[in-house]
Amino acid sequence: MATSFCSSISMQAPISATTRRFSLQKPVSIFNNGKTNNHLSFSLHRRSMPARHAISCAAKQETVEKVSEIVKKQLSLTDDQVVTAGTKFTELGADSLDTVEIVMGLEEEFGITMAEERAKEIATVQQAAELIEELVQEKTA
Amino acid sequence: MRTSVISKMQRSFSIELPSLVPLQLPSRMETHLWYVVPEEVKSKSLLKHYSQLLSPPEKDKVLRMRGDELQKNALLARTLVRTTIARYQTNNVVDPRTLMFKKNMYGKPEVDWQNYKNCDNPPLHFNISHTDSLIACGVTVYVPVGIDLEDKGRKIKHDVLALAERFYSTDEVKFLSTIPDPEVQRKEFIKLWTLKEAYVKALGKGFSAAPFSTFTIQPKAGTTGGYNLCKEKTKKCNGEWKFGLLELADSHYAAICIEDDQASGGAPMRVIVWKTIPFVEDELISESRFL
Repeated sequence: MATSFCSSISMQAPISATTRRFSLQKPVSIFNNGKTNNHLSFSLHRRSMPARHAISCAAKQETVEKVSEIVKKQLSLTDDQVVTAGTKFTELGADSLDTVEIVMGLEEEFGITMAEERAKEIATVQQAAELIEELVQEKTA
Repeated sequence: MRTSVISKMQRSFSIELPSLVPLQLPSRMETHLWYVVPEEVKSKSLLKHYSQLLSPPEKDKVLRMRGDELQKNALLARTLVRTTIARYQTNNVVDPRTLMFKKNMYGKPEVDWQNYKNCDNPPLHFNISHTDSLIACGVTVYVPVGIDLEDKGRKIKHDVLALAERFYSTDEVKFLSTIPDPEVQRKEFIKLWTLKEAYVKALGKGFSAAPFSTFTIQPKAGTTGGYNLCKEKTKKCNGEWKFGLLELADSHYAAICIEDDQASGGAPMRVIVWKTIPFVEDELISESRFL
């Protein structure tokens, strides 16, 4: 399971009374494959983020999962073929027609339209999810 | 007509690969199309030999493919490119392992001749395409080439017309919407896809240089197998590019696009097709039916 964080986060640690500020230089993807010791000194889950903080982010887990589902369906992947945020479509055997069908599936699912040049640049699940969220935000803005 | 080539194993080192049989260059305006059927390549030791041809980054890329079959096909694709190009070197036998590749500024792969002092290297152009069950490499001299393959029976998961409306030109949508039989419509969609994809690949400037909706490819009136490329905005059909569409191995559509040097006077494309297993055999496919 991949948890992505945005480039600058400000939040409160759930238990401690002091406010900690985290500032990361660039977006960090932390893969937590059920391991208990991360090499990081903190471990954050989406649900512990206070809702009142507005975060402009790399894609939400939910979006990444929805994109993965659509990709799996389009490429007729078996359950043992794992798709993570960083998975490149080409590594799953997708050709250009698959990519276009994936884009169409994403547009239908999220109610957006992707410009062809940007759509064809999408190489991974993560990139698709980020573009989707950008377009959804623009739509609702 | 089958020509079996007996591979020569050199005895000095077990890692020594058999020599490749040299090839005559294509003539101007001629395309050579080489294809491999992955299912026919089963020998583990042969595949091991192939993997020894690849550069370290190529090997890494092969290993990143998710699944044994995908890895095998990626390996065969690189092997096909390296061995085919190596065979066209007229002056010296080129070790396929020594070939270097680079990308043009838009990302199109091409041969990097910097290692070769021999200035007689022919201006070879190549382009590769593959599906789950077929891998092909097109080769030309002097003119850029783009090829694209699709399985004839490939299922389209969306409504064909909806896809066309989203990605194709208005004239192409019109053409497709006049086809009553959905199966024929699906086939025509796929044929058009391969032609359009072959053009973008021949152009070599990346997909944003020629979005699919900005051009139409249509059959040339009064010819069999000729196609025109027309710009959507201006409706101008310049004739700078030549197209050919074939059926390969009874299972695939293969589209070829080459730059037209105008000297051939509008003559249809000449394509010579071989089925091959690198180092093992070549089979000349004499009947190439243009669609």
